[in-house]
Amino acid sequence: MDFSLTKKQQELIESVKSMAAQEITPFALQEEGIHREKMLISLARMNLLCPTVPKEFGGLGLDLFSTALVVEELAAVSPGLAAIVAATLHAAEPIILAGNEQQKKEFLPLLTGAQAGAAAFALTEPEGGSDLNIISTQAAADHNGYLLNGCKDYVINAGIARFITVVAATDMFKKKASLRIFLVPHHAAGVKIEEIYHTSGINLAPVGRIRFADVNIVGEHVIKSREAGSGYLLLTQTFDVGRALVSALAVGIARAALEEALNFAENRLQSGVPIKKHQAVSFALADMATRIEMARLMTWKACWLIDRGGDYSVASAMAKLASSTIAQEVTCLAADIMGARGYIKGTLIEQLVRDARVLSTIEGTNHIQRMVISSQL
Amino acid sequence: MSFRDIGMKIQAAREEKGLSQEQLARLVGCSQSALSNYEKGKRRLYLSQLEKMAEVLDKPLEYFVDSLSSSHPPQPTSSDRDERFVKLVNLLGRLSDEEINEVMRYIEYLEWKRSGGS
Repeated sequence: MDFSLTKKQQELIESVKSMAAQEITPFALQEEGIHREKMLISLARMNLLCPTVPKEFGGLGLDLFSTALVVEELAAVSPGLAAIVAATLHAAEPIILAGNEQQKKEFLPLLTGAQAGAAAFALTEPEGGSDLNIISTQAAADHNGYLLNGCKDYVINAGIARFITVVAATDMFKKKASLRIFLVPHHAAGVKIEEIYHTSGINLAPVGRIRFADVNIVGEHVIKSREAGSGYLLLTQTFDVGRALVSALAVGIARAALEEALNFAENRLQSGVPIKKHQAVSFALADMATRIEMARLMTWKACWLIDRGGDYSVASAMAKLASSTIAQEVTCLAADIMGARGYIKGTLIEQLVRDARVLSTIEGTNHIQRMVISSQL
Repeated sequence: MSFRDIGMKIQAAREEKGLSQEQLARLVGCSQSALSNYEKGKRRLYLSQLEKMAEVLDKPLEYFVDSLSSSHPPQPTSSDRDERFVKLVNLLGRLSDEEINEVMRYIEYLEWKRSGGS
């Protein structure tokens, strides 16, 4: 087994680091989305908004392992920006996995190149959350395709997405068995952004509620339109891939917290020596570094399995469960090391603690991850 | 669990076709142990894999995933009442929360009227 990165992967990391240092880090603590446009342009210039898009559709054609490396680097400087990328990747995944040539040609280039924008994945609903058994968004077949009605909540990239990948039932009795995935252009008539929330963390990524009222969806915008029953399986696969990327995001957040705490501990003097020399602090730092390494290796394994087409469902759920927990622990430990300084609004650590909080919720809560894992034991 | 239901359908279709686990596994390009886990619902099955199985087993994809239906649909009779009921539920799914409230108020009114309006 070889854990070393290829030369190409190392160069990729270096190029992301270099761009991030100049164009993202200086604005990363200014959370209110003021600099989002500039940062997205920086990412687009490097074609990093959706790096898994195949080259023939304008993307970099990266495998998931390399994409996870990019997500970790971005999360280490701006978790919100990494969340925008992760959500875009999630929205594109059903198209990459099962879209037809026409769908790929129409939608994937919107996420690539210098003019690239983000995309959104809409599943969660105000009433039933992400419980597919009680999904209420409905796509009723009509002569031209489908008529989409319903409401999706907590959609990452609401308001900035070029298109929305929407999960809806086509039969209100069959619900889960009738799920299909619809590609909805952001400007489609009947699509309304009802609210953008003030979230506690990942503030750069807009999170909102979207209403779909009699939105006409042509048959060409339905993934696997002729194969009834394909939606659920495609959805679970998309989530299994997405979890590995959220895991990478968690590693990036945890790493940033460790670097910040380490820097502080090397410079803050107590009893005449840097606090890093005190065992209580040095042991905490050692624990943080060890946990981050665990999280990273689990992330890498999940991505490696995905790229090989192996059985990755459990590995991906375990990676997400472990990494999100570790990111929350590590950011809190880092805040402890920094004392009162870690509690001041506008400091990196205070932001990272808030950013890490969302990780146990997105891409399936950690309870869901436990259900996925235990069902396959 | 959902994948257990799909697995049971795979097993039923395989047996109907007279294939052993080993034979079906070879035809769809997976190991026998993987197929066994699919049938037990202990391993997640993705779309491309189920598509292959559906083809080999001569079943539409829908046959396998229909078992995911969580609710119990009305028995498929040709009665006009059932058809109208299905249509009504589908129409309700297209209404806004406020409109659904209006429908509920109207149903409550109908019940009130039926009970003699007292």
